[in-house]
Amino acid sequence: MDFRPLAEAERRQLLTALRGNADRGVALLLDRRDTSFTGTADELPDEQVLTAVKSVPSHY
Amino acid sequence: MGLLDTETGKRRLLSVEVPAIEAYNEGRDPDYRITVNRNGGILVLSYRLKPCHNVYRLETRLLSSYPVVPPETRVITPLKHCPHLLEGQSVCMWRQGSTRATSRWDPTQFTCVFAVLAAWRWLACYEVWHETGEWPLPEAK
Repeated sequence: MDFRPLAEAERRQLLTALRGNADRGVALLLDRRDTSFTGTADELPDEQVLTAVKSVPSHY
Repeated sequence: MGLLDTETGKRRLLSVEVPAIEAYNEGRDPDYRITVNRNGGILVLSYRLKPCHNVYRLETRLLSSYPVVPPETRVITPLKHCPHLLEGQSVCMWRQGSTRATSRWDPTQFTCVFAVLAAWRWLACYEVWHETGEWPLPEAK
């Protein structure tokens, strides 16, 4: 795979989102069609439960 | 509980796992849908994830002891060696002995789709690590 790195602004946005998810339970929103990251939300509508990353258990 | 060879397992499959996969696939581009195949007593979920610009192929295996035993996920697409990547490109996602509840797989609350979403988050961490050399989330306790 030819790895395409994140641009600086993209990396900062993703890092902030990941830490918000881990620290405060902020939901990570995914594009319905292709799973790409689209942003974050404090409140998650029911219909997005299966298309967002919120309280996914994991230890890393 | 055998997922495929006991009534309890089959009930779990038909009433919990399959509906969750169908809901996940709804409205999704065909390339990004979960497909399910049986390999002996194991169910193998194959799918693609694209947290940012790169597309990754993955497999999540539901062993016959699932959901008591957590699903196993590995990335098929070659990766650079990084933290939390085990032999065979399996990703380290749950630690059942952890004192932190969110570090443990809970079969009463989670479905195989949660494993897919956890893999997405793992890959997002990988993309950050690839650029910075630091894993962006804290270690398990």
